[in-house]
Formats: sequence, C-alpha cells, structure tokens
Amino acid sequence: MARAMSGTKSKYAGLYPHPPAFAAEHAPVAEVVEGKCIACDRCPPLCFFEALFMEDRRGHPYGRVAVVVQRNCTGCGLCFEACPADAFLWVADHGQRPYGAAQTSDRKEKRDHESY
Amino acid sequence: MSLSTEFLGFSLQSPVMVASGPASHDVNQIRLAQEQRAGAVVLKTACSDKYAHMRYWPRPRYKLLDWDKQIAGRSKTFSLYSYEQGYSGRLEDYWEFIRASREHARIPIFGSIFADEARDWADLARRAEESGAEAVELDISSPHRPRSLEFETTFVAAIRAVVAAVHVPVLVKLAPSADLAHQCTVAEECGASALTLCNRIRGLDVDVEEQRPILHGYFAGIGGPWAKYSVMRHVAEAAQAVRIPISATGGVMSGEDVIKYILLGATTVQILSVIMVNGWDSIGRINREIEVYMERKGLATLAVIRGRALSRLIRPEEIIRYSGEGADGPRNVWNEE
Repeated sequence: MARAMSGTKSKYAGLYPHPPAFAAEHAPVAEVVEGKCIACDRCPPLCFFEALFMEDRRGHPYGRVAVVVQRNCTGCGLCFEACPADAFLWVADHGQRPYGAAQTSDRKEKRDHESY
Repeated sequence: MSLSTEFLGFSLQSPVMVASGPASHDVNQIRLAQEQRAGAVVLKTACSDKYAHMRYWPRPRYKLLDWDKQIAGRSKTFSLYSYEQGYSGRLEDYWEFIRASREHARIPIFGSIFADEARDWADLARRAEESGAEAVELDISSPHRPRSLEFETTFVAAIRAVVAAVHVPVLVKLAPSADLAHQCTVAEECGASALTLCNRIRGLDVDVEEQRPILHGYFAGIGGPWAKYSVMRHVAEAAQAVRIPISATGGVMSGEDVIKYILLGATTVQILSVIMVNGWDSIGRINREIEVYMERKGLATLAVIRGRALSRLIRPEEIIRYSGEGADGPRNVWNEE
C-alpha cells in the first residue's frame, strides 16, 4: 500500500505501475500534495477528463497549485506520469464501488456474507 | 494551396482527423478539434450492451512507457500503453453524444461502434446513423476485443450487415496482422467505403520489481511514434490491394508523417496520441507543417501527390545490389595469428 502511494522513493519515474491496494474496494482518484506541487503546468494538458486545473494559492511558494476536480477524475494515471515533483497520490472515492459490486455499504456487507 | 481533402463525399478542411478515443469522448472536445482545423472527428467507440463491462475502466489504466518527458508540445518518443476500452455511458447517452456533437460541429462527425453478432453491429450502426453520425467506423480490430472474435468468423458478417443497414459511409478499422492485405480486400468486397489502418496492437509490459504485468494485470493496447513504420508498410500494401480510400493512423507526430502516409496512398490521416502527449495544438501545428511542405513543393492540393511514393515502391528483383564480399573473396579462410 505504501509503495502504491506517490511520495515513496522508488525506481518508478512517474506512475507506479500498479493500482493502489484499496482499488479492489473503492475507486482511486488523484489528489495533489500541494506542498510538493511546483506549479509547472505539465499536468493539466495531459488530463482528458476536465479534472485538472491550476489554481491561485496565496501563501504557496509558487503562488499557484494544480488541483484535481475529483468528481471528474477517472483515475487514468496520466497526471502521475506528467509530474516531475512526485506530487500526486491516490485517494479513495468511497462513493464508488467496482463494476459488478454492490454500490452501497449495506449491500457490501450483504455481499461479504454471501459465498460468491 | 489548400489542405482541403475529398473523402467519402465530404470536403474536409484538412486530411488530419481526430481518431476515436479520449480526445473524442466529450462533446466539448469537438470545439477544440475545430479550432485547430481538424478535418473530422471519429467519436469514442460505443460497445453493444453485451459488452457493457467495457464501459468500465480500471484505475490506473494509462502508462507512458519510454517517454522522453519533453513538455510544451515537444515530446518525440513514447509508447502509450492503455486499457481504457469503450465509451463510458449507456448507448442512449452515446446517441445523444452524437446528436450534440453534430449540433455543434462544423466538421463531419463519425460514430464508432463495437459488437459481436452481425445483428448487434447493424443495430448500433443504424442507431448511430439515425443520431446523425455522418459515417460509421467499425472498430473490429480493437486491441481490447475478446480473443474469440476473429475476422473471418465474426467480422466479415458484421461488415456485410452494417453495409446493408445504413446509407452513410462505413469505415472498417483494421489492425496489423500477417493477412491484413487480405482483410482489406475482403472488407472492400463486403462493401466497406474506406479502411482505417491501423489500430493499435495488443501489448504487454511487466514490472520486474513486483514480477507481474503492469497496471490492471492484463494485456493492453500499445502504440506510439514507432508504430508508423509498420503502419506505412501496411498502408502501402493495402493501397496496392484495394480501390477504396484509406484513412491512415499510427504514430503520427508531424506534418511530415501525414505527408508520408499520403505519399503511400492514404487519403486522410487520423491522430490521437500526439494530441494526448503534446496537446490539442498538435493538430494546428501538423496542419501548418503540411502547408509549409505544400508551399515548398508548389502543390495546389495533396491529391496530386497521393500515392506518389507508392508508385515508386519497387519489386525485390529490381533492387540494385552489389557484392558483399571483399576483394579477396568469401570470408571463409581462418587466419592463423
């Protein structure tokens, strides 16, 4: 799990090439660690889901940061590839269950007690 | 001098089209394509309900392998490895997507579909036509298609069924294979209006640290600038084998790449990964690069050079050859030290 998180020193430049461990249960969406963002503008053009924008941020060393619109993020991974500062990490969208799985926590518990 | 290109009865403002995929899954992207003078847009592929699972995508699902990481539109090398599959909405959403795209587009909008049974192919094509698609591309060679579906057993019937079902032009998208030229001929015989060559191929990459396939753990589609040399060969072979027009696609990074495909007989050229990696401006840049070439060569239209390099493709027996041996003859004498 820790390895799946951006920020861990690893051999992987860009996207760690496996899903985060929680992806089996909840949808991964990208998030920017604002303290790491260097406002380089590389990631927004690589997002084809209207989910990445630059925003002014008073007090930030660069005055601006990349921001993920998580409701639009489809977890494709391209922003991780674009980032030279290792500023992205995966967070769980608890509102989204995998395709084929029950969609609410009630039904999840039900599913867990069934044998399939 | 004009980039204007006649293709399937349309007068396209440029031979450069946006290929089906993530640069054509949102109606608002039509505006971006138009601003850059794209010739036409092939919308993201919609799958039949039987393949509803292909509307759902793993996370993450894109990796840029061997990427030079150049920014500001200057990247030249990469391999785009992905497993995104089909349009993410329901079929009803897709028909509305076509309608909305047509409503706002000044350039032709083509639908793209995938199914297995001929009846489903015909049904999707008919619905796409009714929704306003000005042509329909059959994505029979998707790198994500189920392995059980083969050209002869499934897709020949699909092409026939679609051609019988719709009035708009039908493009058949094929992937590199040993018998691709044969598939092109069969598609033409079945009534296809044009061929799209080539789809991305199915690839696989392995992570040596975790010792397992990367991303979702299964094969993926793979493409990139390197693909063009293989696709140029396939376009050349197809252009010799069929009379219907060819829409070439694969590895295009520059206007020069577009011109190469046209010199080999293609009428239009579809691009996508260059847009993803180098931005929407890539379409406009490629258009300008083509214009600079036309200016330099004194070309009024691209039609005058279509197939010119193909006509200069010679036979193996015509290749001028020389001896590979040195003056002392065969290299078969062991020299003692």
